[in-house]
Formats: sequence, structure tokens, C-alpha cells
Amino acid sequence: MSALVFELKQKPDQRLDLSPLVSSRLKDLNSKQIEALAIGTTRAKLTVGDVFKVKGRDASALRFVGTDGRCDKIGAELTEGEIVVDGDAGAYLGAGMKRGRIEVQGSAGVLAGASMAGGSIAISGHAGERAGGILVGETMGMRGGLLTIGGDAGPLLGERMRRGLVIVGGDAGDYAGGRMIAGTILFKRGVGRNAGYGLRRGSLIFVKEPKELLPTFGDCGVLEFDYLRLLERWLGGSGKRIKLGARARRLMGDMSVLGKGEMLILA
Amino acid sequence: MAELKIKGITIVETFAEAFPMVGTRIIITAPTLEWALIAARTMTGFATSVIACGAEAGIERTLSPKETLDGRPGVAVLLFTMDSEKLQRQLRNRVGQCVLTSPGSACFAGLEGEKKLKLGASLRFFGDGWQMSKLVGGRRFWRIPVMDGEFLCEATTGLTKKAVGGGNLLVLGRSHAAVLAASERAVNAIAALHDVITPFPGGIVRSGSKVGSKYKGQIASTNDAYCPTLKAAVNTALPLDVEAVMEIVIDGLTKESIAKAMHAGIHAVAKGGAKAGVTHITAGNYGGNLGPHHFHLKEIVR
Repeated sequence: MSALVFELKQKPDQRLDLSPLVSSRLKDLNSKQIEALAIGTTRAKLTVGDVFKVKGRDASALRFVGTDGRCDKIGAELTEGEIVVDGDAGAYLGAGMKRGRIEVQGSAGVLAGASMAGGSIAISGHAGERAGGILVGETMGMRGGLLTIGGDAGPLLGERMRRGLVIVGGDAGDYAGGRMIAGTILFKRGVGRNAGYGLRRGSLIFVKEPKELLPTFGDCGVLEFDYLRLLERWLGGSGKRIKLGARARRLMGDMSVLGKGEMLILA
Repeated sequence: MAELKIKGITIVETFAEAFPMVGTRIIITAPTLEWALIAARTMTGFATSVIACGAEAGIERTLSPKETLDGRPGVAVLLFTMDSEKLQRQLRNRVGQCVLTSPGSACFAGLEGEKKLKLGASLRFFGDGWQMSKLVGGRRFWRIPVMDGEFLCEATTGLTKKAVGGGNLLVLGRSHAAVLAASERAVNAIAALHDVITPFPGGIVRSGSKVGSKYKGQIASTNDAYCPTLKAAVNTALPLDVEAVMEIVIDGLTKESIAKAMHAGIHAVAKGGAKAGVTHITAGNYGGNLGPHHFHLKEIVR
């Protein structure tokens, strides 16, 4: 059975709420019912059929083609299946998702993977602010799963994150890992100002030394961590070859709060 | 019925009687294989028999860096007891006192198992609040600060209730040296197999026991029927020319692994033939009424 494809006909004149387009909602619907689903966000009524050309039948493998930054909530609250986005994604990509896999070949807007609890999101391009961060009304940011950002990440990456792993291939903005409760963020390149602000527990792993370090982090020196070996092996086994080695400079903080978090700057 | 012989060695028509046990496997890694072996040997020391050691344990095999989670040399250890509660206690104490303490060591689950035993989940308290939990690939690990850095330990390991203990072979021969050499060959052959250990010193027992004793409170005593010095006084199982008997006890994660190990052991003993001094291969049992697993030698040998 071929993947269920949603091909954007033309640029929508309003932002779209694509949260109904997930496997759990679509698997029991026929094509007419799918085309009738409302996805508008203004008083002007808009359905799937108005905006997308729908092809294929397999609701466990969704594909969005030609989408742009106005296509919000792709894979939000996802509980099963896989979504491939051949284009950009708007805000709330995979926000609150629990299981499944989302792959975006372009960039994503704000709050990608915010408060997600499981599954994986891979964004080839950039991610907007608060990726893996905290959704409005939630008490915690990302609570599990894997968020990979190939490009740059906006400010407040992983804000109030509780569990899970975020990998940033490009540069991260200011306040990365801000107020983190636990979890891990791996930065392959630079970070902005105030990384780890309010970090309680959790690990910020830097392949490159950050230009600025908060004065509320205390230095433990360069040490050996078997955990880094374990992480490198697991990443390699998952198709992400990132050389971590075993030695890193450990800084503990943020001492202005609980102070049981760490920065591991690879040596 | 014709007597079964391999290279002139009589395979006695009897069976090994074995018992259900609970078992687990853990993987110990270290900066070098030597240090992983030191930790593993320490942890499996004084673990020959549940009669007085609390557990039966041994090194199953060594692991190359490619086979371990952290890419360092490792050792797989099997640990068996009679019930889950004792296994949990033995695991915590042995890993806590012998692996956590060993320089550069880390400890990982080695078995999926039907149920879970706490590993790092109980040892983490040694961290006194400084321990860190990490979830990697859906598995939880504890990083416990210690004086040489960190002790990385997986939170849990699996437990199997399908383990079998007490698979055995008895090797009879005309000289002590011949029986020892043949038994060593058997232990080496079994060591190459997965899922089994031979928990006694060097894999060999020279003091096989029977259940009970003439003395009150003594739960096991010497297997007099197999003691060559008592041939004239007891209901001996030994021909006059037998000078020594040694036993190879095998514990395994499954019944099938025990059968495979016994098969390998018998053929390794028989390799030297009767000319090398071994006369019989037999097995220990209690009449078949105590243990549910019976490994008949004539079937095993095939």
C-alpha cells in the first residue's frame, strides 16, 4: 500500500492546523472523509481537499509535499506511524507527540517537538525558537524521545526539558537548555549567550567550546566519561556518527539553582 | 542391551538430575580485558554452590570491544540462585562490593529476561545524591561518582526462571592425573559454549555430595559411593581399578544449554580414549525424585 500523500496545491492564504492529519485519526477514514477535514484557523472555512491534493492510502506512512512555514501542528500529539515532510513545517511540529517518527526535509517553525514525550523528530534544516521546549499550559518541556536538528536552533532550545535527547548540527540560540530539569542536549557547533541558564539537572554536551560560559557553573576539570562512549556507540548504531571520545571538561551548574546539571565540553 | 562405549570408555546408562533455578547475566567492562576479568573473578568468587555460598556464579565468556555497549573489553557473568529474592540480594551485594569497587569498571544488563532485577537502580544510592540517570536508546543507566571518575551501571538486568542448575558429569579413571586431564578438557569444551558456566574451582568438583548426613544439621555430606578409599566399606559405585572421580557441574540459562554442554563435555573427556586412563563417564542423580530435569547420558551423547 502506498503512503498517504498530501501535496500542497497552492500557498494557503491562512495558517493551517494540520493536527488532524495523523495516522490514528486517518486510518479509519476514506478519501472523501479525509478531504472534508477542517484545517483552517480563521473564520473562512478550509478543508484538506481545498488545500491539498490527496493520493495513496497507507495512513501509517504520511507524506506532506510542498508544505511551507504556515503549515502548523504537523504530527502534533502523534501516537503512531511515520510522517515525512518534503518541504518546510510551521509551528508546533510534533508538539506533544508520544510515539512515531517525523522527518522534515526543510526547516521547522517555533516549538518543534515542544513537550514531546517520545518518538523521534529529524529536521534537516533549521528549527525556530523553543524547539524541545515548553508548550503553553504545560509544566515541562520535552519529556522523552529524540529531536535532531540538522541546521540552527532558535533561542530557548530545550527550555524546561525533563528527559530525552536533542542534537543540534548547526548553531543554537541564546538560553539553550534554559531551566532544564533533566535530559541531554548535544551541540555540534556554537551556542548563543547564557546556555544552561537555570539548569537543575541534565547534560549539555558541547563538541566545540562555547564562547561564553555562565559564571554560575563550577569547573571540575577534564575527566573521562564512560557515558560518552556509551552515547557515541548508541548514536553510531542509530545512524548518527558523531565523534565524542571519552574525555571532556565537566562544569557543574547552574549553581544559582539546584546545580546538579553539567556541561561536558569535549576535550 | 549392549554397553555404550566411546573409544573404550563406558558411558553408564544413567542420568544427571538437575533443578530449576533463577538466573541472570551481567556484562562487566573495563579499560582492559584484564581488569574486566579481575572484577568478574572477584564477583564470582565463593560462588560454587548454593549450599553455602548463596549463589552459583561464573564467567560465561569474554567480549570484544565490538560486542559491548561502551566499546571496551568486557566479560559476561552468569549468576544463579534458587529464588528471585536471593538472586536480587546476591546481585546487589556482589556487584556492589566487587564491580563498583574495581577500577574503571562499568556494568550492563546481559539478559532481556521475563522480569527485571535492580542493578544500578539500587547501587545508585552509593552516589549520595550526586548520581545522574541517563536514558540512552530506551535503556536507563546510572552514573555514580567514584574516586576514579564515574561508575556507569545499567538500572536493571533481566531475570530468567527457566534456568537449570546441577547438570553434571562424573569422570572415573585409573589415575588422578588422567581424570584431572580429561575433566580439564571437558571444562574447556564447555567454556566455549554460551549460556552455561561450570561454577566450581577450575570447573571441577572433587567432593561430590549426597543429600543428608549421619550428623544432625549437616545437609550434605561426601558421596561415599564414589569415594575410592571407601570401596570395601560402602555400597560403592566404583570398580576396583578406579583411583579417582571428578565431577563437572553445569548451570545454564536453559535446559537445552545444559544438554549441549554435557554433550560437549562427554566428547571432550572421551577424546583421549580409554588408553589415557579414563574408564567411565557417568552422572549424579537422586533417584529422579528431587529434580524435574533428567539428562540421560545415552541421549545426550548422540
